[in-house]
Amino acid sequence: MTATTAPEAKLQVLPRADGSAKFSSAGYTVIGSVNGPIEAQRRDEHAYEAHVDVIVRPAAGVGGTRERHLESILQSSLAQLILVKNFPRHLIQIVLQVEETPENDYANAKLVQASLNFPILPALLQTAVLALLSASVPMRATATASFVAVLSQDGTNKVVVDPPPRDIETARSVHVLAFTSHDELLLAESEGDFTVKEWDDVYDTAKRICCQSGGAKTGIEMELDDAGDNGLDMRRFLRSAVETKVEADLHWK
Amino acid sequence: MAATDRIIVLPGDTIDPAVIPTPRRNAIRLGPGLRHVQATNSIVPTVAGQLITDHGKGSMWVESSTGHYIPAISDLVIGQITRSQGDYYLVNLSPYTPNATLPHLSFEAATKKTRPQLNPGALVYARVTLANRHMDPELECVSQTTGKGDGLGPLTGGMVFDVSLGMARRLLLSKPREYGGVAVLELLADEGLAFETAVGRNGKVWVGSDKSEANTRMVIAVGRALRETDERGLDVEAQKKLVRRIMKELSR
Amino acid sequence: MPREAEPSLNERQFVLQALRENLRLDGRPFDKYRPVELIFGEQYGVVEVSFGKTKILAKTSAELTVPYVDRPLDGIFTIATELSPMTAPSFEVNRPTETEVLLSRLLEKTVRRSGALDTESLCLVAGQKCWSVRVDVHVLSHDGDLTDAACLAVVAALRHFRKPDTSIEGGLLTVYTPAEREPVPLSWLHSPFCVTWSFYGDQGEMALLDATLSEEHVRVGSCTISMNRHGEICQIAKLGGTPVDAVALLQCTNVALVKVKDFSAFLDRKLAEDAKRRDKGGLMAELSAENDR
Repeated sequence: MTATTAPEAKLQVLPRADGSAKFSSAGYTVIGSVNGPIEAQRRDEHAYEAHVDVIVRPAAGVGGTRERHLESILQSSLAQLILVKNFPRHLIQIVLQVEETPENDYANAKLVQASLNFPILPALLQTAVLALLSASVPMRATATASFVAVLSQDGTNKVVVDPPPRDIETARSVHVLAFTSHDELLLAESEGDFTVKEWDDVYDTAKRICCQSGGAKTGIEMELDDAGDNGLDMRRFLRSAVETKVEADLHWK
Repeated sequence: MAATDRIIVLPGDTIDPAVIPTPRRNAIRLGPGLRHVQATNSIVPTVAGQLITDHGKGSMWVESSTGHYIPAISDLVIGQITRSQGDYYLVNLSPYTPNATLPHLSFEAATKKTRPQLNPGALVYARVTLANRHMDPELECVSQTTGKGDGLGPLTGGMVFDVSLGMARRLLLSKPREYGGVAVLELLADEGLAFETAVGRNGKVWVGSDKSEANTRMVIAVGRALRETDERGLDVEAQKKLVRRIMKELSR
Repeated sequence: MPREAEPSLNERQFVLQALRENLRLDGRPFDKYRPVELIFGEQYGVVEVSFGKTKILAKTSAELTVPYVDRPLDGIFTIATELSPMTAPSFEVNRPTETEVLLSRLLEKTVRRSGALDTESLCLVAGQKCWSVRVDVHVLSHDGDLTDAACLAVVAALRHFRKPDTSIEGGLLTVYTPAEREPVPLSWLHSPFCVTWSFYGDQGEMALLDATLSEEHVRVGSCTISMNRHGEICQIAKLGGTPVDAVALLQCTNVALVKVKDFSAFLDRKLAEDAKRRDKGGLMAELSAENDR
């Protein structure tokens, strides 16, 4: 099955959670629920701020250290976005359930312990942000995330956005970058060997995807677009997904 | 309001200074969903929703209709008694949140001897008197100034239905039909149904009626009408149709 | 630990009063299910089932492993049910609640012990290689009647699933990737479904199908009947609660058979629809694969 790269999102998919979202992009589908602010357990209670609890659950098999690692990355990023000081002694609980991951038709992957779960990070973060928006949890800003890989093809290095799973396995390095809506770098995780120059290229590419304001493009940007990231604009995507939901909610206004 | 002039904001968006009201005498009043950032002296939204500005009153807020209920002063809420502790009842306003407190004597004409005895699980209609991030909310069932209940107090019988926060807000507007686009209750009453309602800002609607035959059916019908209007986002025309359908079912 | 939300006294009294008057809050008759929806995922073996506001996701996966020493001729088949805080914040990770234990045991009895899946067919080389098939049940939203919805999801996911094709030539085991050979369905023997009755009243004289969460809170007992469309009963679980009259239980079983037949027909129809939808591209893929050889 071919993985579609165009992101899709739907908010308020679970009727009983405070907020929820389903997000799919590059073959990944994640469903997220947010409950909060609710009462924190004694051991998680902070006197001055809300505790942000992130739980990542794989589609198949039980969560292990990889999931705990992803949770800790997401937890620290999301705690930056949420206005945690508004809800001391409370808990904001985010559960991210992976529904589908892209399948590689050319290899029989070990499913029970996914071999590489780094590429799913942007989908998880995006789902969490959408679910938080759906739950009307007060936030400082929104965030957008992207997955970028450096592939070496015929001796030259190429920066590719959302590569298919086959390419990820052969990629020289893979990077996950997320930016807030104030163009600040929120998250940068990398794996593999890369030079400073490569990282700069990756940074520029990711920033263009995440931080495009939807306005007119300058000459340089257009050229870069031709280099093949199919003009993905995460920020506009996020806004339109949320606008659809708000308009449906406030149809009476 | 036409769809074109609605401003939908996301957390962290910059608000066009032109839409910010500039009251001559008082300071601007910021409602829910907005915060003032001192460093940049700007007003920034914190939730996703529609930005509403009232130039006459010099106030602005972000209208959003989902999420967990966060208590605010003078909200009318429907709470459920968890237990009695000392001179207080502990009252739950929404699932999984810390209890609010309601003094035993905070009821109309309540004295140590005549105060209502409420068991765990009983419902009360109350007003929030203290809402503060560092303290658990406090409630009252009597007006401090007049000493009257004004409809607040224990809710006996009837049924409580869960609705979205947005729906509760619409029902609590001074003219739900004109401002909030909810006419189901009015329409059902016009059809001759006799029922009482109490709307809690925490997303609960209590529907009651006197204890006679055929009233269970009616309460269920009112509850379903409310829920369907909420969940399916019906406009007034669709609500009329819904009411006609429900009346037909009831008469069977 | 956050407390689970308990219904108020008013709700309890009202729900019971309504039942006494033969009414349910959502206007359903006593023996009718909420609208059942079933959506297959893009991948094989992924299915989302919803009964009204109850939503379940089931995913089947398979991997090669070594059979258990005491059962060298059988493959491995497990059903994993873990309720996450997504179901409700009162559920904690790694701390099973009663709901979770009962759900997993009922599914285990209904699907695994009834021999719905032919585990012998999962064995490839006796004592050395076999398939381990695993179904993960995720409860996305809990509004009562988890057992029936989860059971439908598990059976649907397993019947929809395709495992990689294999061949043994001269003692050499080859596992084909999906690009080389179309994956094959599991060897499926019969489809059991659960039907859960909730009882109300002093003697449990009122019986309800597909109770919502608020109805489940006030019931005095429940009984889960698992059977297939031939009327073969896999298990009956009546765990505690008010004793129920035997004749009434018999009547429940009869109605359950009708519901199981409905489920069975519904699932067959959905599987056929999905197969049809996939065939458009599938046929082309097969043709091109043949051309390659």
